[in-house]
Amino acid sequence: MELETNVVAHAFGSSRLRLANTDVLVAVKIETDVPSVDQPDEGKIEFFVDCSANATPDFEGRGGEELATEISNSLTSAYRSTKAFNLSKLCILKGRKCWKLYVDILLLECGGNLYDAVSLAVKAALWNTEVPRVLSVNLDGNKVEMEVSENVQDCVKLDIVSAPVMVTISKIGEHCVVDPSAAEEQCATASMVVAISQDRFTTVLQSGSGSLHPSTLKESLKLGLEIGSKLDQALIEVLRQRPAKKQVGFLM
Amino acid sequence: MEGKQRSNVKFVFLKCGVVSQAKGSAYFEVDNTKLIVSVYDPREIPKKTDYSSKGELFCIFKYAPFSCPNRRAHQPDADEKQHSAIVKRALESAVCRHEFPNFQVDVYILVLENDGSALSGAITAAGIALAQAGIPMYDTITAATLAIQGTTKLLDPTLEEETLCTVATHKSDTEIDYDSHGIIVLAMLSTHEQISEFYQLGNLDLETLNESVNILMNAAKDIVPLVEKCLVDYVTKTLKSNAES
Repeated sequence: MELETNVVAHAFGSSRLRLANTDVLVAVKIETDVPSVDQPDEGKIEFFVDCSANATPDFEGRGGEELATEISNSLTSAYRSTKAFNLSKLCILKGRKCWKLYVDILLLECGGNLYDAVSLAVKAALWNTEVPRVLSVNLDGNKVEMEVSENVQDCVKLDIVSAPVMVTISKIGEHCVVDPSAAEEQCATASMVVAISQDRFTTVLQSGSGSLHPSTLKESLKLGLEIGSKLDQALIEVLRQRPAKKQVGFLM
Repeated sequence: MEGKQRSNVKFVFLKCGVVSQAKGSAYFEVDNTKLIVSVYDPREIPKKTDYSSKGELFCIFKYAPFSCPNRRAHQPDADEKQHSAIVKRALESAVCRHEFPNFQVDVYILVLENDGSALSGAITAAGIALAQAGIPMYDTITAATLAIQGTTKLLDPTLEEETLCTVATHKSDTEIDYDSHGIIVLAMLSTHEQISEFYQLGNLDLETLNESVNILMNAAKDIVPLVEKCLVDYVTKTLKSNAES
């Protein structure tokens, strides 16, 4: 598995992940927005998946749309719990202004195990993301004025430790297999995707058709939890080892 | 939400053959949630050039504009698209798709009033509608929803309970850690003991999840006699009216 972070110059955070034959590029863009009426003290996060026709010819035209919505929906569900990802830190002024994170996911090559690869890349990109530091917020009539630090390097890191990591478990024959290749996915009678955040499940869903016996379901949940926790630890370790952004140029 | 376990007695109403134009249809009520499902004849898959050895299901899950506290737009939103995909996945394992290769069966679900558990209701009702339409199936399919907040587990929650269970709350005022919470939808084929769809949201540990699977399986099995009775009633009624005419 190869992981690079900070690869896109114009993004606030980005990552590229290569997992066997799967290649994913994730970039995070930030904009200001008005918080929703239901959650006035929370920011927003949105996931967009683009299945590039470069990945496989099947994605040509609208071919990849179904897969794209499936992946982005699973990410939205996985990040929905406050415990997994706290959106209240993205609020600038309650009910008036908040940050909105746009997470754009580009599938460059598909070689199976897409959910796992995408979730790891998203977590790495969010880890890499830096939100501009807000110095002051003023309310002038109905207009919100805010002052952002002029120093480009002066940013706030997001708290991403508890962000979920997804694991796909495929039932092939009598056994449950993790990290399936594209060919193995074709053979699977049923597949499950679990999102694990700090040893707890944030989302469980089935991918593709097929049904499971209750005992297989419980077995795969246990397996998914075990693998997910290990994967999460390994990812965080690697991300922590990365040096902080280097100071470049003589002025900064 | 306070208290341990709410009584699980729920008002359920089922009727099939409610839409005369459709091949099969079902009307389903669970407490205040009301929905209608219609299934149309298999037809050739439009805009498809290659041959598919298995038939396809085309599912549309739609909330009526007036079904929720906030008005729903006519265009399907992300939520509805996701629900359509979940219903499709759940039904695919129940239908003998190899019996109608290169054809698709249309399943339209319209939620008239949403007071929670609409997704599981839609799966159960779609199963009845498919059976009435004479689409070959392996088993009756039933589904149930469980909402969890802390130690409270609610079967077939109302809309308010569903919303309460999607947000994390603190264990107590002094603790910073959040309590477990979530919503689980499970669809199963009870004779074959197969879970055809499992969908969870929120934040739960393995133990709670395993417990919930058992609760949901029993709940799904409890609806089976109702579904069977509904279909048997329909058949006897049709036979009687045929004999008379």
